[in-house]
Amino acid sequence: MKLSATKQLLELYKEQQALEDYQSGVPRWCTGCGDNAILAAIQRLCRDEGLRPEKTVFVSGIGCSSRFPHYMKTYGFHGIHGRAFPVAEGVKMARPDLTVFVNTGDGDCCSIGAAHWVHAIRYNMNMTVFLHDNQIYGLTKKQASPTSPIGTKSNTTPRGSYLDGLNPLTVTLGVVNASFVAQAVDWIPETLFEIVKAAYHHKGFSFVRIVQRCPEWLPKSLDPWLQDPERIQLVHHADGLQLSPGLSRVYKNQIEHNPRDIHRAREIASNQEAIPVGILYRNPEIPCYEDTRHAGALRTVDAIRRNFDAELDKYTV
Amino acid sequence: MEADLQAHVAFFLSGKINTPNLSSIDGLNLRPALFANYRDLTRLRYDFPLVLLKDAPDGPCVESLSGLIDGILEKIAKGSDGDRIRKHVLRLEQRIRSLATAQDSAPLIPLWEKAASELTSEDKEVAEALSRARANLKVDGEVIDCNVSMPFHYLGHVWALTQTRRARRFGDIVKRLVIKLNEILQADFATSNVGRSAENLKRSFGSGPMDHFDFEAMSRILAKSAPKESLTKSRRRRIEKLLATLQSQQFFPTSQSDKGTYTFAFDSCAAAIAAYRERMPKAIELSKAVAVAELEVKGEYSESKHDRLFESFGESGLDPRDMAIFPDYLVRLHAHELPGEELSWLTEIMSLNLPIKVLVQTDDVIERSPIHDGHLAFALRSRQLARMALGMAGVFVLQSPSSSLYQLREKIRRGLDCSGPALFSVFSGIAGSSAHMPPYLIGAAALESRVFPAFTMDPSSGNDWASRFSLAINPQAELDWAAHRIVYEDDACQTVTAQAPFTLVDFVASDARYAEFFAKVPKAQWNEALTNAGDIIARDKWDSIDRIDSVPSVLMVDEDDRLQKVIVSEKLIREARRCLSMWNSLQELGGIHNSHVEKAVAREKAAWEESARVIVAASAMASAVPAPSPAAATLSPAPAAAAESEPEKSSDEAYIETPRCASCNECIQVNDKMFAYDGNKQAFIKDINAGTYAQLVEAAENCQVAIIHPGKPRNADEAGLAESIKRAEAFQ
Repeated sequence: MKLSATKQLLELYKEQQALEDYQSGVPRWCTGCGDNAILAAIQRLCRDEGLRPEKTVFVSGIGCSSRFPHYMKTYGFHGIHGRAFPVAEGVKMARPDLTVFVNTGDGDCCSIGAAHWVHAIRYNMNMTVFLHDNQIYGLTKKQASPTSPIGTKSNTTPRGSYLDGLNPLTVTLGVVNASFVAQAVDWIPETLFEIVKAAYHHKGFSFVRIVQRCPEWLPKSLDPWLQDPERIQLVHHADGLQLSPGLSRVYKNQIEHNPRDIHRAREIASNQEAIPVGILYRNPEIPCYEDTRHAGALRTVDAIRRNFDAELDKYTV
Repeated sequence: MEADLQAHVAFFLSGKINTPNLSSIDGLNLRPALFANYRDLTRLRYDFPLVLLKDAPDGPCVESLSGLIDGILEKIAKGSDGDRIRKHVLRLEQRIRSLATAQDSAPLIPLWEKAASELTSEDKEVAEALSRARANLKVDGEVIDCNVSMPFHYLGHVWALTQTRRARRFGDIVKRLVIKLNEILQADFATSNVGRSAENLKRSFGSGPMDHFDFEAMSRILAKSAPKESLTKSRRRRIEKLLATLQSQQFFPTSQSDKGTYTFAFDSCAAAIAAYRERMPKAIELSKAVAVAELEVKGEYSESKHDRLFESFGESGLDPRDMAIFPDYLVRLHAHELPGEELSWLTEIMSLNLPIKVLVQTDDVIERSPIHDGHLAFALRSRQLARMALGMAGVFVLQSPSSSLYQLREKIRRGLDCSGPALFSVFSGIAGSSAHMPPYLIGAAALESRVFPAFTMDPSSGNDWASRFSLAINPQAELDWAAHRIVYEDDACQTVTAQAPFTLVDFVASDARYAEFFAKVPKAQWNEALTNAGDIIARDKWDSIDRIDSVPSVLMVDEDDRLQKVIVSEKLIREARRCLSMWNSLQELGGIHNSHVEKAVAREKAAWEESARVIVAASAMASAVPAPSPAAATLSPAPAAAAESEPEKSSDEAYIETPRCASCNECIQVNDKMFAYDGNKQAFIKDINAGTYAQLVEAAENCQVAIIHPGKPRNADEAGLAESIKRAEAFQ
C-alpha cells in the first residue's frame, strides 16, 4: 500500500466530484468561443485530479477570458484589469495550501498587466496560468491587443495595426526564473488537456499560452492554421508532450524537443509559420518564492509574538 | 634446504617449534609489514577525530576534523601567503588531533583555543593565520577520536538529532491541529448569543474610542445575520477531547505539555521493550487523535461513518508508517551482554519489527570460542550477529568497524530514521592484546582482512537484494582479499616491491594472544618454499595435495621496522579459509561472483554457441541458397508500423469526431436532444432521430472545428431535403 493504514482511513469517505460539480452557471461567452474548450479542459483536470472546490481558487483580471472564475464552482477572484497576478500571488502567500489558477487574456496580461506578468514569472510562485490569447479585445468589441498580428483591422486600428504582435512565449522565456512554458490551441482538445495537466503538475509558475479563436470579432484570422494540419507543429518528448497514434496521424508536422533546453525552446517559440504546440520549457529546480519566504509557516501565538517583537526591536534606541 | 623445509612443515602441521632455527614471536612486538607506516596516527590526516556537530539536525551531523580544516583553508589559504597559512593551520590541526587522541571527548572550541595558544606563542605570523582560521570556524561540537566510547557517542548523537527532527515535525502537526481546532470553537463562540452580546463585542474591541460605537446596536445587527446552526454537543465534546489528548501527550516536549516527557534511550533490549509496551496504548490514542483531528479541521468528520471506524482504531497495532511520527527507542549495549535473555529480546525486536534501534558494540572479533577443544576456533557470535539479522524481514542492518563509521554516516542516518527496527553491529577496534595499536588501525585491519566486513541492508531502498544490500565500502570488494603493495629496502640497499594480500592471518598476527601460531624464520633460511599465506589459503586444490612443498608465511616488521618473515600454523590457515568462505557468501549476496548468475550465464552462453554452430552447419550445407543470418533468424516479427487504425466510418452514417470537439456549444444550441456532451464535455450524437437532417447539416456548418459529418438523410420525406443534401456535401 502506498499510504499507511491511517491515511487510507482518512481517504475512505473522501468525496469525488463529477465534471458537472465544477460547473457554475451558464457561460456567457459567444457561441463557438474557444473559451468553452478551455473551460472543459480545466473542469476535466479538476475532476481527474480530485481537486477540492474549497481548496481551489481561480483568479482573473478583466476581459472575456477573465469571466472564467464565474463558471467554476470553486473559490474565485474576478480582479481588476491587469492585476490578476498580484492578487494570485497574495492568495498563494497567505494560503500556500490552496491550488491557484490564473486566467488572463492577451490584453489583460500583455498590455496593462505586462509589468505584473514579468515579475510573476520572476517570482515563480506555484500557480498555473492560462493566457487565453484570442489576439483581440473581445469584451469591449474589437480593439487591437498587443498580440494582434500586424495589419489587424479593429476599432482602434481601422487601417490595420502597425506593429508586429508580441510573442508571449518568447517574452516569458526571456525572463529570469521562467520554469514552465507551454503552448496549446483550443481546437485540439487532446493536447490542450495534456498540456493543462502537465502545467498543473509542475511546481512553479506554469505559463500556458492558449491560442484561441474569437468567432465574433476575428472569425477568419486563424483559419489558415485551423484548416491546414501542417501548420500545427507538435513538440513532443518523453519528458514533455507525448503523442497518441490518432494525433500523430492527423498532425504530421512534429519535432522532438527536450524541455530542459531553453535555447531550443526560444527558437521553437519564435516559429511564425506553424503554431508550436507542446511543452517548450520545464525546469523543476527553480525555487518557488513562497517556499523561499516560508509562506506556509504556522502562525502560532509564539511566532506572532516573536515577529512582533522583532519589528519593535527595529525601533529600539 | 630440505631440512629447513622439513622443520617449517613440522611447525606448520604441529604448531610446535622443534628446531633452534625457528623462534617464537611472543614478546617481539611484531606487527604486519603493512602497518609499518602507521605507527603514529596523529601525524597523519585521515577521517578521525570526528566533530559531532551541535544544533545541526537538518545538515550533516558529523564532520571530520580534516574536512572542517579543508573547508576553512578553501576560504583563507589564497593569494601569495596561501601556502604559509596552509602550513600553520595544518600544524594546528595536527595539534588538535594529538589533544583529542589523549582524551575521551572534548568540545571543539576549547581544544582549538588550547592548541592555538600553544602555537601562537612562537610567532606573530602564526597568530595572524590562526586567528583568520578561527574567524571562519562556524561550527562547534564534541571532538571524538576513534576510541572505545566513540560508537556509543556517535550513534547517540545522530539518534538525538533524528529525534529533534521528529519532534519538530510532530510539534508542527500538533500546533497546527490545536490552532485549527481552537478556531472551530472560537468561531462557534463568536456566532453564539454570548459571543454577539454587546458586552462581549465591547470586550473584544480592546482599547480605543469606545464612545464612538454603539455596541448594543452592533449586537442587534449581528443577531439578525447569525447562522442557524451551531456546533453539536457531540462535536464540541469530541474537539475538546482531541485538544486535551494533543496537549497532554508525553512523547515530545512541547510548550503546551505540562507533564514530563518519556525517555527513549536504554541500555538493554528488555527495558526498551517494556517501555514500548507500556506506552503503546498512549501512542495509539495520540495517533487516533491526530487522525480524527485532521478530519475535524477539514470538516470531513462524519459521525455516522467515522465513529465506528475509529472505535476499533489501533486494536491490531499501528502501521509502521504511522509509528514513524513517534520517537524511536535506542538501545546501546556491548556484545558480551548479549548471551542469554538479552539475545532473545533482541530477536523479538527484529522479528516483530518494533521501532527500536540497537547498537551492539563488539570489542574483540577474534576471541577464542568458549567451547574450543585443543583446536583454534574464533567465536563467531559477535561477527555473525548482523548476518543473522539479514534473514529478518524489514530490519535495517549495518555492520562496520568503528574506523568506517564516518564514511557510512549517511547510511547510519537512514538507519536511525527508518520506521522499523535497526541493528548496528560495530567493532570498536579494542581487540584483546592488540591494545598497543590504535583502535582505528585495528578496525581498518579487520575490514581489510575480511574478519569484520562492512555491509548495509536497507529495506527502504528497494524490493530486491541488489537495491538493499551493499558491500561497496569494503576495499577491493570484488577480490577474495584486498591486495596491497609493500615497498622495502633489501640488504643491498635496493628498493623491493612486493604485492601481498592482507588476510585473517595478517590480522591475527598483530594479536599477541595468538603468538603460538607463528614462528619467526631467520633471514638466512628464507627460501622460495615460504609462500605468501594468501596464496596458500586460496589454493583450490589444497585438500588434494599429496606432499607439502611450501609453507605459508607473512611479512612482519619489528619495532625497528626491520622486515621479518613468520610462518603460520595450519590451524590458522584453516580458520582463514573459513573466514574466506563467509566473505565469499557475503559477496554472493552483494552480487559479486554470484553463483546463480554465473551458472545462468554459462548456460546461456552454451546454448548460444550451440545454436550458432547449428546455423553455421546449415549454412554450409545449403551453400547454394543464402541462409538467413542468425540475428535475422531470431528476430521476432516487426510490430505493425502503422498505428492502430480506426474503422472507417460509412459516409451514409452521421457521426461526430468527439475527441476533437472544442466544447463550443454550437451544436447543442441547434438541438440539445440530438447532440449532447459526454463525461469529458465533448459532443456526440445522442439521438439521431431527435431532430431533422436540416438541423444536422446546420450543426455541421456551425461547428467551429468542422467535425460533424451529417451522412445521408434518414427520412426521405423531409422538406427541403435536396438543398440540405447539397449543403452537407462539404462535410462528408
